[in-house]
Amino acid sequence: MELYVPILVLAVLAAGFAVFSVGIAPFTGPKRWNRAKLDAYECGIEPTPQPVGGGRFPLKYMITAMLFIVFDIEIIFLYPWAVAFDRLGVFGLVEMVLFIVTVLVAYAYVWRRRGLDWD
Amino acid sequence: MNGTIQAPTLEYAQLAPMLVVFGAAIVGVLVEAFAPRYLRSAIHVPITLLSLAGAFALTIWQVVKGVPTKPAAMGAVAVDGPSLFIWGTILVLAFVSVLLINDEDHFVAAAAAVPGSAEEEQALHEGAGHTEVYPLALFAVGGMLLFPASNDLLVMFVALEVMSLPLYLLCGLARRRRLLSQEAAVKYFLLGAFSSAFFLYGTALLYGYAGSIDLAKISAALGVVGGQETLLYIGVAMLGVGLLFKIGAAPFQAWKPDVYQGAPTPITALMASGTLVAAFGALLRVFWVALGGLDWNWSPVLWAVAILTMVVGAILAITQTDIKRMLAYSSIAHGGFLLVGVVATGAAAGQNSKALSAILFYLVAYGFTTVGAFAVVTMVRDAGGEAWHLSRWAGLGKRSPLLAGIFAFFLLAFAGIPLTSGFFGKYAVFQAAVAGGATPLVIVGVVASAVAAFFYVRVIVLMFFSDPAADGPSVVLPSRGTAAVVGVAVLATVFLGVFPQPVLHLAQNAAQSLFIR
Amino acid sequence: MTTHYLVLSALLFAIGGVGVLVRRNAIVVFMCVELMLNACNLAFVTFARQNGNLDGQIIAFFVMIVAAAEVVIGLAIIVTIFRTRRSASVDDASLLKY
Repeated sequence: MELYVPILVLAVLAAGFAVFSVGIAPFTGPKRWNRAKLDAYECGIEPTPQPVGGGRFPLKYMITAMLFIVFDIEIIFLYPWAVAFDRLGVFGLVEMVLFIVTVLVAYAYVWRRRGLDWD
Repeated sequence: MNGTIQAPTLEYAQLAPMLVVFGAAIVGVLVEAFAPRYLRSAIHVPITLLSLAGAFALTIWQVVKGVPTKPAAMGAVAVDGPSLFIWGTILVLAFVSVLLINDEDHFVAAAAAVPGSAEEEQALHEGAGHTEVYPLALFAVGGMLLFPASNDLLVMFVALEVMSLPLYLLCGLARRRRLLSQEAAVKYFLLGAFSSAFFLYGTALLYGYAGSIDLAKISAALGVVGGQETLLYIGVAMLGVGLLFKIGAAPFQAWKPDVYQGAPTPITALMASGTLVAAFGALLRVFWVALGGLDWNWSPVLWAVAILTMVVGAILAITQTDIKRMLAYSSIAHGGFLLVGVVATGAAAGQNSKALSAILFYLVAYGFTTVGAFAVVTMVRDAGGEAWHLSRWAGLGKRSPLLAGIFAFFLLAFAGIPLTSGFFGKYAVFQAAVAGGATPLVIVGVVASAVAAFFYVRVIVLMFFSDPAADGPSVVLPSRGTAAVVGVAVLATVFLGVFPQPVLHLAQNAAQSLFIR
Repeated sequence: MTTHYLVLSALLFAIGGVGVLVRRNAIVVFMCVELMLNACNLAFVTFARQNGNLDGQIIAFFVMIVAAAEVVIGLAIIVTIFRTRRSASVDDASLLKY
């Protein structure tokens, strides 16, 4: 039974965080109403009307998509490690940290080269 | 499917040359991220050159310390005699190629700008440039080091991609004739990805057959697993397609002329030398270590491929009018000569090590000469960049006898004239092939060499015995780096042609223990 | 029975291979290559089941990473040439031949 205690704790923490965030937002957040905010939600940016049959998207969508694919898929290597991290011990931890640092180097490059800026 | 999981061990000392190269590449990315633009090049060049030199020193250190007798990294990487020899070769060739890359006016100012647009003009005016070429080249070199040393097919596949992906990008970065360059990148990329899919499916089938992707375990399974020969044969064929594509063997040679012509010339030099060496190392390891017991099946196919490659390379080279394209077909023909050595295996270990040492020597000889030849190509300029059309080279011997003489010397080395390195390379490979019972192949090889000699000599005649055009190309004063590359290539070609013994001896020592399992 | 999965994988690989050879748009050609890689993944996972070891599943992870890296580099190259030529047809890219 006590095996489930960590999961329970995690669930409580997660729910608490969600309730806390949503509850505190009206009191702390700035209240600026503009057109974009009242618009239909589309990934947080203004909707771009497309002609029927699909038009062309600006290239910046592609850069965002590519960055997402690359950084998203790297996480795949964390799963096997997560399954066996206790048996892999310090060696596994060090290698995983090295791996994440390597990914972070790429992230730093993207960030400094303004690959994350939308405009 | 359970079993206990234990933390793996890594032999860092054995892997050190690769780790240095990859580490320097990552530092290079950080430099790109944080150093101001005007400093980047000044930081990159020393890092790149020092890391290659350091990796070379570490390789030598391992040879001195004693060549390992067991695969490293849980059997994933085999640092054996041939690997170390190939590593040394690749590192030296990459070092001289980086000296060529250092002349930055080969590379585009802003790759994202449309050719001929105002944006490109502005980037050129500002003196912008892609210093990313240094880390990209280092990643490619790291992949080249891992590729021939990988002892299982997954590592080999990853190494293949690590080697190829940066090269796809580098191909598209030429400053002049950008349409050609971009087209070369697209073609190289699509065909390269296509061929690596074949490699991967072959790996999958061999995994299904043998239950492992470890080369030694595949070899052990050959005689034991029964009833699944179909998997095995199709798998070997598909694996072969992937590997032969990287070598540029016919009928998978179509990408080579296009890519060599379109890519920036220093990158062509890196590909023509480093990639070829790495790909041959990997091909030899797969076919000898994993599939050695199957040579009755693959040997006839490789015979056909070798003959076709030599013939296609030699004959199509005659019709070329572009100097880089001609050198590309010459590289295809040389790939064919090297395949003759791959076929020259025998039952005895002595025969195998003889063939292996011949191939290793040939790779060194050809690598230096080809880097030198492409370095010369970078120096003969028209108004619009390199003088690519052969007719523009007419009379170069009268205008610039030294450069034309050096180029003629390289061409003679390609042709395999005595007193050049090419002669001993070809001699060693053909001798091993005769000893291995592949005499008909050698005859085809000699005939193909004669045909190839025809077009090499034709270029020499063109340079020395025809009148220069009035508005002919000018020979630019080489930068120190380019001059050093040409000098090193000339010295290596002469040295290996006159005193081949030391390097031949080294190659024999490296080949003596063959590939470890 | 694992045979069905292998047949499906071979079919997907063949569809991808034919697609590479007959399609004209570089993006579609590239999608066909990705289909081939995914066919490989299916074969790896099936063989892992058949052989009773985990190697094949781990290989599938690596293949996915490599495929993602390939996508990024490939799209970058194709978009560059598209912006130059306003066309992604592999037939239009014909400056280099013979």
